[in-house]
Amino acid sequence: MADVRGLDRSALVSKVLIYIVMAIFTILAIYPILWLVIQSFKTTQDYLLNSKLGLPQQWFFQNYLQSWKRGNFSMLISNSLIYTSVTVVSIIVFGFMAGFAFAKIPNKATPFLSGSFIIGILLTLQSIMVPLFLMVNAVGLYNTRIGILIPYIGIGLPMGVYLSTEYIRSIPDALVESARIDGAKYLKIFSAIIVPMAAPVAVTVAIMTVTGTWNEFMLVNILASSDKIKSIPVGIARFSGALASDYGKQFAALVIGLIPMLVFYIIFRKQITKGVAAGAVKG
Amino acid sequence: MAFPTVFSVVLSLTNYNGGKIFGNPEIGFAGLISYIKTFKDEYFYLALKNNMYIVAVSVFGQIPLGFVLAYILSRGLVRGCDFFQSMIYLPNVISTVVIGILFQSFFLNSNSVYMEIVRIFKPGAEFTLNENPMLPILFVILWMYTGMYVIIFLANLQKIDTGIIEATKIDGANELQTLVYIIIPALSGVLVTSAILAISGSLKAFDLIYVMTQGGPARRTNVLSIYMYDKAFRGAPNYPLANAISTIMVIISFILIVITKAVEKRFGGKE
Repeated sequence: MADVRGLDRSALVSKVLIYIVMAIFTILAIYPILWLVIQSFKTTQDYLLNSKLGLPQQWFFQNYLQSWKRGNFSMLISNSLIYTSVTVVSIIVFGFMAGFAFAKIPNKATPFLSGSFIIGILLTLQSIMVPLFLMVNAVGLYNTRIGILIPYIGIGLPMGVYLSTEYIRSIPDALVESARIDGAKYLKIFSAIIVPMAAPVAVTVAIMTVTGTWNEFMLVNILASSDKIKSIPVGIARFSGALASDYGKQFAALVIGLIPMLVFYIIFRKQITKGVAAGAVKG
Repeated sequence: MAFPTVFSVVLSLTNYNGGKIFGNPEIGFAGLISYIKTFKDEYFYLALKNNMYIVAVSVFGQIPLGFVLAYILSRGLVRGCDFFQSMIYLPNVISTVVIGILFQSFFLNSNSVYMEIVRIFKPGAEFTLNENPMLPILFVILWMYTGMYVIIFLANLQKIDTGIIEATKIDGANELQTLVYIIIPALSGVLVTSAILAISGSLKAFDLIYVMTQGGPARRTNVLSIYMYDKAFRGAPNYPLANAISTIMVIISFILIVITKAVEKRFGGKE
């Protein structure tokens, strides 16, 4: 009897210990973000004079209004929306078309072409930033929306092509064949059979592209000089550089920049984590 | 993606330095001069060393930590697996720029939280970044990306047949033995992939350091990508040199790709 009870107690202790460990890591993960939100309601004076870990002496909402105006966030957000939506739509359309061709219309060039896309998945964007900048410059697209969108689509496309190829390959060949025998052209097969069946992979690709594009900083930073075409991350970096000592407004700007992705994450949490796991194992 | 790479290799072999690229008579073949210059620059090695630090943090920090957390979650030792997983992954979806500026306020100036805590013990302490300037950056990297490894390991741990684990339990194996003899061997392929991911991740490190320290003080927090950025965009542009660095980074990436493929073959290709 005593033995069993001893076992119970040690099991309980280890269970509590494990919960404590998990709780610590969870708090570590979200505390900085919570801290930021709390500080964003302080005036700069309040932040500098009082403890930086405490609550605001009075909740000050003006920070948000002011930094929204000063940072021109309505423009930044609309730019980010344009970049993200155009990139997502193009990647899905082109990715599906390429995926269909790779999976169902094989020819001699297929291994080479699909192989070059695979390399694109694994190549790090940072390593080609200077040549990319020089190329965009050479064709006269520096500081234009097109000049930002084309690289974005090019960067996202390999993953989109890869995922849709894999998915379309799993659609039975018999389906495509029977449609062909009935006299359907490739375009008809594509729109009537492939597109409706491959909808789930489109969701995955869209979600991965949104997270990648929305947060992208480096490319816009080097390819855009005018404020009119900058996206949120670049805008925030610039804004906080200019207002480095005005903490209240700076924190409010960071929170504004954080909210869209946070909402997106809360909605698509499951799909995002699934996509990460799948992408990493395959990559 | 393939074209910029070729373009960069070609430019790195010339003396191109701004102006028109096509049909410019001043561009000539310069051979490997840019590469030799790069390999002679002490700052190149400094940047490379910092890249190595980032890799080390990933391999010895994030991967073990991620593994332990994923293991706890996967064995059903706690409830609310989904909740913990989501919270720990959260930093990954937030813009690196926001995180960089946030932690800059946390650590990296005289009005930071870090200094407030230091001043409790040492009143009147001045802020300085001269000792271990990479430390705050490495901390943030650890904080940000551990969640990613948790997700990766968790997905693969859940693939392991629970029947095998049950069988070992019946045979009298304890938790530790199951871990060492069943689970770790089953994950060896993923572990190697993660290590490679860590190396390529260190090549990607740009945004965070650009925002937090800009490579300073005195270029001591440079990594390869920042080093290249400096050469191309700060001060007088030196495009051949920047392209040479770019090529070196691409070569590193390619080696990693080849290793990944080999690992995949060796461990039976995790499709």
